[in-house]
Amino acid sequence: MDNGHILSASDLSRWVDDLAGRFRVFGPVLQKRGPTTFEPIRGSGQLNLDYCSTMLSPRSFIYPSVQKLFEIDRETNRYRVVDPGPERTQLIFAMHPCDMHAVTVLDRTFLGAFQDYYYSSLRQGTLTVVLNCNRACDKGFCPSMGTGPFLRIEEGYDVEMTSLGNEFLLEPGSQRGSELIEGAPDVGPASEEHLQRKAAIEEEARASFHKSLDTEGLPELLMETLDHPVYKEVADLRCLGCTNCTMVCPTCYCYNVLDRSDFGPKRVERGRQWDSCQDLYFAQVHTGNFREPQQARLRQFLTHKLGTWIEQYGCFGCVGCGRCMTWCPTEIDITEMAKEIQRAPDRGLEQE
Amino acid sequence: MTAPAVNPLISELARVEEKIGETADTISLRLSQLSLEPIAYGPGQFNMLGLPGFGEAPFSFSSLDAGDGTFVHTIRSAGNVVSALDRLRPGDRVAFRGPFGTGWPLIRTRGKNLLIVAGGIGMAPLRPVVQHVLSNREDFRSVYLLYGAKTSDDLLYERQFAEWNETINVLLAADQVRGELSLPVQEGLVTKLLPSVGVPLSNTITFTCGPQVMMKFVAGALILSGQRPEDIYVSLERRMKCGVGHCGHCQIGARYVCQDGPVFALADITRFQDTLL
Repeated sequence: MDNGHILSASDLSRWVDDLAGRFRVFGPVLQKRGPTTFEPIRGSGQLNLDYCSTMLSPRSFIYPSVQKLFEIDRETNRYRVVDPGPERTQLIFAMHPCDMHAVTVLDRTFLGAFQDYYYSSLRQGTLTVVLNCNRACDKGFCPSMGTGPFLRIEEGYDVEMTSLGNEFLLEPGSQRGSELIEGAPDVGPASEEHLQRKAAIEEEARASFHKSLDTEGLPELLMETLDHPVYKEVADLRCLGCTNCTMVCPTCYCYNVLDRSDFGPKRVERGRQWDSCQDLYFAQVHTGNFREPQQARLRQFLTHKLGTWIEQYGCFGCVGCGRCMTWCPTEIDITEMAKEIQRAPDRGLEQE
Repeated sequence: MTAPAVNPLISELARVEEKIGETADTISLRLSQLSLEPIAYGPGQFNMLGLPGFGEAPFSFSSLDAGDGTFVHTIRSAGNVVSALDRLRPGDRVAFRGPFGTGWPLIRTRGKNLLIVAGGIGMAPLRPVVQHVLSNREDFRSVYLLYGAKTSDDLLYERQFAEWNETINVLLAADQVRGELSLPVQEGLVTKLLPSVGVPLSNTITFTCGPQVMMKFVAGALILSGQRPEDIYVSLERRMKCGVGHCGHCQIGARYVCQDGPVFALADITRFQDTLL
């Protein structure tokens, strides 16, 4: 049984420097005056491994916000598939468990009955090194969703990494992950004691979360309370329909398809870009708009992430990263909305 | 990098064989595939029709599959894609992807009465059902087609009604009746025709397609008359960009209209929100 491997902090830096030479590495980088974001890095010196959360998850490296699909010659009607890449194998370094879980949630959409050509290509061309979280972030509730603070999946990632203070525990999640670890400098076998420290740190990290959500029976409850007044109250008083929640959500997969032609009419480019169920026109057809009121769109977001996703994909569409509420301009908190429904599921019925 | 062999967003080409004017604002395009391997499609399924520069939109098959790589789409002028499709002429090329969706559950109708209720352009996805019934009449007991439109001029496929009426019961309604048609047209909504259905609903399957508000009232009237929601099937219109359950636009609760529909048993869909049913 592979107990994993141990790497000192300085050897970790050397490892990252080496990886940056072999792959296109994205890692968490502290911006000069602001937040930590995932950026392409050339070496370990740019990394900020102590980050809590990033505004955008690494989703866009596998599922870009804007992506070309085809170039179409209108005279011959010939469709040329745009190569989605990656040109070089990508490696996402030190992504948190919630974001890794989110990628496997996206897999269920894009690699299901129909395989998305572009997503599949980028997903297979991307290695993932996960860094477990040793402490809670402000809005996170991953323990409630079973997606953190330590990795909870058996496959779909390459390396799981845990900071044990001045050294790191590396555990492979795939054959490619094993090869990555074998290439690390001065890597040694982990002992039982290392694994015990990992378990203790996980327990401590888990206990540090102050946000939570009771998901027991929640999907069923949400389907029974579709007319709950909380949707209208929050929509009327606070929701701006700005779509921020869906742009920062690491599991949102909706896209719009757009054709663009150059100034000559011959060549057309068909592309796609992230779309949002919070956009007024998202469900609009010629004969009407099926989610015209803001409350209907807000309800779609909440009931999908915490409810119907289960029936569709066998997992929640929420990984508890807390981004939707962190970046909501009016601080709408879906856990608070769900709790209000759980507190008073029948509220509003008597007025009907 | 290795990518899947099939790209579900890539389309193939068809040639416009014929352009048929149906009503003042509706045409049918008879298309034939350029590739030699004909697609196989069933009543109620749809294609994504596309034109470079204008994009793609879903259209139901309004023909029954003859296995020869030809198919008909009936299209009403509305929106960007359609106005471009409207300008096509015989010989022009059009891109398509499909067939998508599940279609009408003809398997459930064997040995039963079939009630078809259509409104306006909603007749298009139901015409292949009628055509299927005509060639497999012994599979069904009584078959009714109730078809309504705003005006009698807006009734699609009018020239086929008399022929259909020889095999099944065709009843027509229109808010405004103009001129003479091959069959009588009752003034009013299609729901006014329901009392004329002379069979018990207990052994009947209903297929309905039309404006949401029409389907809502049809379904409501049928349920009040004792039909089970499990036996009423509706075909839903939703925005679609992909047809393969990825782009998210057509979602209703846990269902994708493009993959799980567009035909749904009423009972399966009304438990969700935003159905307008």
